[in-house]
Amino acid sequence: MASDIEPAEKVTAPAAQEASAPAHTTSARDAWYPAGKRDVFILRELVTKDFKLKYRRSVLGVIWSVLNPLLMMLVMSLVFSFFLRYDNIEHYPLYLIVANITWQVFADSTNAGMMSIIDAAPLLKKVRVKKAVFPVEKVLFSLVNFLFSLIAVVVVMLWEGVAPTPVMLLAPICIVLLMVFCVGLSLLLSALAVFFRDLIHLWSVLLMAWMYATPLFWPVSMIEQVPYHAVRVLMYVNPMYNFVTFMRDTVIYATIPPVKVVVSCVVWALVSLVLGYFVFRTRERRFILFI
Amino acid sequence: MQDTLKLDNGGSVFLGLSSTSIRVGDKLKVTPHFRGVAKEDFLCNYVWNLDGSWEKGDFDSTIERVGHTVPEYTWEFVPERPGRYRIAVDIEDSHGRFKGNVERWIIVAGKYGFLRPPVPPADAPTAVLADDVSMIFNIASEQFNSLKEYFIAAAKHELTFKEFRALDHISFEVKRGEAFGLVGTNGSGKSTMLKIIAGVLEPSAGKVNVHGTIAPLIELGAGFDMELTAKENIYLNGALLGYRKDFIDEHFQDIVDFAELDGFMDMPLKNYSSGMVARIAFAIATVTEPDILIVDETLSVGDFLFQQKCERRIKELVESDNVTVLLVSHDISLVERICDRVCWIEKGHMRMIGETDEVCEAYRSLDQD
Repeated sequence: MASDIEPAEKVTAPAAQEASAPAHTTSARDAWYPAGKRDVFILRELVTKDFKLKYRRSVLGVIWSVLNPLLMMLVMSLVFSFFLRYDNIEHYPLYLIVANITWQVFADSTNAGMMSIIDAAPLLKKVRVKKAVFPVEKVLFSLVNFLFSLIAVVVVMLWEGVAPTPVMLLAPICIVLLMVFCVGLSLLLSALAVFFRDLIHLWSVLLMAWMYATPLFWPVSMIEQVPYHAVRVLMYVNPMYNFVTFMRDTVIYATIPPVKVVVSCVVWALVSLVLGYFVFRTRERRFILFI
Repeated sequence: MQDTLKLDNGGSVFLGLSSTSIRVGDKLKVTPHFRGVAKEDFLCNYVWNLDGSWEKGDFDSTIERVGHTVPEYTWEFVPERPGRYRIAVDIEDSHGRFKGNVERWIIVAGKYGFLRPPVPPADAPTAVLADDVSMIFNIASEQFNSLKEYFIAAAKHELTFKEFRALDHISFEVKRGEAFGLVGTNGSGKSTMLKIIAGVLEPSAGKVNVHGTIAPLIELGAGFDMELTAKENIYLNGALLGYRKDFIDEHFQDIVDFAELDGFMDMPLKNYSSGMVARIAFAIATVTEPDILIVDETLSVGDFLFQQKCERRIKELVESDNVTVLLVSHDISLVERICDRVCWIEKGHMRMIGETDEVCEAYRSLDQD
């Protein structure tokens, strides 16, 4: 800059070379994650945030994740043993708690997942983030809660005197499939909820109906007593019936679940993921205009 | 306005300036280069005028100062006030006959003001390429927020939308290291363009290619949660900006120091004042040197001392060779001081694109209409 500038000298060769030579400091270059990796860090930070906020300023903190399913199980087992006489089911408390935590992870993740895009609106309007991060994060967060509530299951197993068996090692497969199922459904719901807020109200009703249609607290054998064939088929096809059965068979009954159940779980997980992913990807460009 | 003057006998004069962007108190060398003629045959009369002063923000008061005819062929000029100066040289032949003049504009920044970064070479790699970008918003004549309404309207074929073109075929290219300005009046589409560049909005037509990392200093503090502590928010916000975890670990103290909030890190953000929140947000966003820096005019946050600190930090980034700057403003003076090139968008249309002085001149004439 010190010398006189003439038009011909504006782009002289040495100046050009100097300016285009990379002179980045290493710290500046290394500050950012490559595109794929950053989502993992974002997911981790968001899950941490949700977890911290959930238990901040509660005396027992994270113990609630264990205590909550235990207390719920206690109440339900009292109610259903004394009033509805379901106590002929073997290991009824265990029967209840395994189904309950499986159901809970499904209900929590889809409920929170559905709202995730709408709730992330201020963020999505500010920074470029992969939008699918938000529904997925909600599912991961409910998985964390689920893992804590497994401690409650262990407590009940000790109480009921059910010994762990090698078959239990199959349970994680069920959990993974359930996660995939929930991710797919959350993607689908979150995308649709952006355009139709009615879904938010509808889903809670739907969840309740779904809960009663799934043998969570009533015996599985009752499905056979349903008078209509079509309804029976529907109840057996019900993804949550299959996930709950998968869990119960491996954790309580130490049996490998029937092929029908395993295949159903796999099919449902894939159908949900493909459908959710497709709907989400085709709609996500327009989210910003509606949130 | 011309920097070259053709002389009768086939020769020419070009006005050479040692720099086009200096600070108050810096020395500017003004040298007319004679070509094809002997410079000894001519006399030079050096003139400068200050076109208002940005310190006071008035452009009307033009202060005319006339220089002197000198036999020297170079002249040193030391401006005492910041502003936009016209530097002109009247050329006279040896008989004292006026042959014409050459003139150029120069921006003089205040002592701590912005300097235009060096213009990148023509073959510098592209940082941002906007290729025929259009953005159309459908303004629904009715807002459907429920399924019932939607299906009823769909059944009646009443799903009509009014089209609103926020951007209409905008194309430009920004080289790496360049400082590029986007000007336009309120609601002209500047922010929409920025959001598209930042990747928040997707254009309806055309595409934008961005090479490198973006630090958008437009929306600070994305994802801040008031319940979390400052420390937790730094990590969360850092993650959303795409920073590495180990990078934040390493530079955590830098962020705290810059924000001057040591000792407040474990306090929930809801107990912070809004100024303190803004400090944290700014500190995170500027802790590293991005490839592309998007600056908004309404950036200054916090008290006046911190504002100065912010400006200094932005200045460092702007003046760096590696950082491409995108400045958005309807305030012309800031654009003139910082940008190499400017794109003027008006009601979604690209009115003009080119050298800062040229575009700003045109934009300013709109001001006066």
